[in-house]
Amino acid sequence: MLIFTLRRLSLFIFTMLVLTLLSFSLSFLFPGDSIINISGAINATPAQLIEIEKHYHTESNIFWQYITYLHNIVNGELGISMASQSDIATEVLNLLPATIELSLVALFIAMFVGIPLGFIAAIKHNKTTDNIIVSVSMLGYSIPVFWLGILAILTFSINLGWLPSAGQISLLFEIELITGIQFIDILLSDSPYKWQAFSDATAHIILPACVIAVAPATIFIRLARTSMIEVLETSYIRAANAKGLTFRQMIFRHAIRNALIQIIRHVGLQFANLVTIAMVTEVIFSWPGIGRWLIESIYQRDYTAIQSGLLVLSCFIFIVHILTDFIYAALNPLARGNKYGS
Amino acid sequence: MARDKIYLEEIFPSPFMQLWQVFRKTPSAMAGLSCFIFLIILAVFAPILAPHSPIDGQLDMLLLPPAWHPDGNISYLLGTDELGRDMLSRLMYGTSLTFGLSFIVVITSLIIGVVIGSLSALTTGIKSSFLNHCLDVILSIPSLLLAIIIVAILGPGISNTVWAVVIVLIPQFIHITRYAVKEESRKDYVLASRLDGASPFRILYYSIFPNIVDRVMSQATLAQSAAILDIATLGFLGLGAQIPLPEWGATLANGLDLFYIAPWTVYLPGLAILFAVIVTNLVGEGIRHSLKLRKDK
Repeated sequence: MLIFTLRRLSLFIFTMLVLTLLSFSLSFLFPGDSIINISGAINATPAQLIEIEKHYHTESNIFWQYITYLHNIVNGELGISMASQSDIATEVLNLLPATIELSLVALFIAMFVGIPLGFIAAIKHNKTTDNIIVSVSMLGYSIPVFWLGILAILTFSINLGWLPSAGQISLLFEIELITGIQFIDILLSDSPYKWQAFSDATAHIILPACVIAVAPATIFIRLARTSMIEVLETSYIRAANAKGLTFRQMIFRHAIRNALIQIIRHVGLQFANLVTIAMVTEVIFSWPGIGRWLIESIYQRDYTAIQSGLLVLSCFIFIVHILTDFIYAALNPLARGNKYGS
Repeated sequence: MARDKIYLEEIFPSPFMQLWQVFRKTPSAMAGLSCFIFLIILAVFAPILAPHSPIDGQLDMLLLPPAWHPDGNISYLLGTDELGRDMLSRLMYGTSLTFGLSFIVVITSLIIGVVIGSLSALTTGIKSSFLNHCLDVILSIPSLLLAIIIVAILGPGISNTVWAVVIVLIPQFIHITRYAVKEESRKDYVLASRLDGASPFRILYYSIFPNIVDRVMSQATLAQSAAILDIATLGFLGLGAQIPLPEWGATLANGLDLFYIAPWTVYLPGLAILFAVIVTNLVGEGIRHSLKLRKDK
């Protein structure tokens, strides 16, 4: 386990270096002056500009500039937004929790719907139930998410009027920002309308989370189905069968545990996919998350914000990736061996 | 009577032909393939087949509903949009933009990816490990996010979108080719031809490529469905195809303001995207199914 941890750590450091190098080079690739791109100080006077240049060490060679950039990132200085002239680090810290909240809820919905359906399909392999589940899952990952989002708003918000169509919570509720994760903040607040706010926030999250969950859920169906089919063909299942265990015991005690391990391994990879879908969905549902902020910065040509947004989002995805790798290795001793990342 | 075959010769079909023999016995895959070919024909011949211009609007025919609606007009089969442009023609021209471009994108990145992938499979040691790490990093960033970033650097527009999606898809092909070539080179028939004194490139070209072509094709269908969705999503976000190009995602975004008055301007492009992606996935499923059957045999 120690060697596994060290390997992952080296991969993590290497990845962070590549990602920061990428985002550092973006300031030269974007149109305009690199020093303004990296700092976002678009209205700076010449005197301020000299000050900023000194801060970013532009007079020394490119390597030292990169080191300064890394130093700034570690200190939490991501520059200021070109469009709003506000500090990017605080903006990101305000927005990222909303995205984490939305994508985690979507991930759990996808897992709780997808995995059992996949298991059912595997148990009824090559029967009608299996065929129906597989065809529906194919439909699910072919559907463009922005279209699905619009249809969902039309059906559930406008025609049926069940769920709100935009935002994170109704503006009537005033919730203080503590952790940034809406649900925890509501529970921590001492507002007399705590439970009304809680149910309102739940109503707001259902629709976007379900729309995001559709594509990952169908992938979980396929993953669960293949791994369950594999497990059911192994000899230990045949042994359990020969011992005279009932079908129910065999599935719940032996098959599900072993099949689940294989799925956990892929959760990290799926999460990256899910975050991209969440970005588009945030735009449609006006969810105040980092995805919508990033896409709006692209419209506004806010290069400083794009650069930092990319860095933060991909770091977030990679950290989740590594975490699931650890969970997988902790659960499955076979995976701690000498292997490259999945 | 002439006899074509005097000697009884055993014929071993190439892996590609073996794949085709299973593939054509799967009805869903064949249905997918015929729709795929239909879309390609539509993409190529859209200018000849389309009844109207996709850009010029008829100002007296604004927001005409589809022909089966009581207010519809049969010469505008799928209705018109807010500028009086025929939806059917827009969708047909859109095929060559969304579907046709995604096809070209996949072919381009396939060629680049396979070349780099097979060259990298021949390297070993620190170079290979470095490449592996780099690929891991790039593959961990979602394709759409990377495409959005590249478009942000290059600026919005359809040609920049195409380049962005090409760049995004290349690592997948490198990864799969590299993996497949490494797996094949461990097998005995490669060893045999190496013992015959064949050069690495000869082995690659004559021995390994015919045996990995099916896996690369299966990856290509996955890449194609991702490419369609990426191009359409970028178009929807306003970063891809610009007005007045009839790209499906852009057409959909265009109809969004009039969704309640003219829902067909949103339903139809969405259905077109869905159809194209499902067709691609059906072909992909067919290939993977035949691959699995062949392996089990």
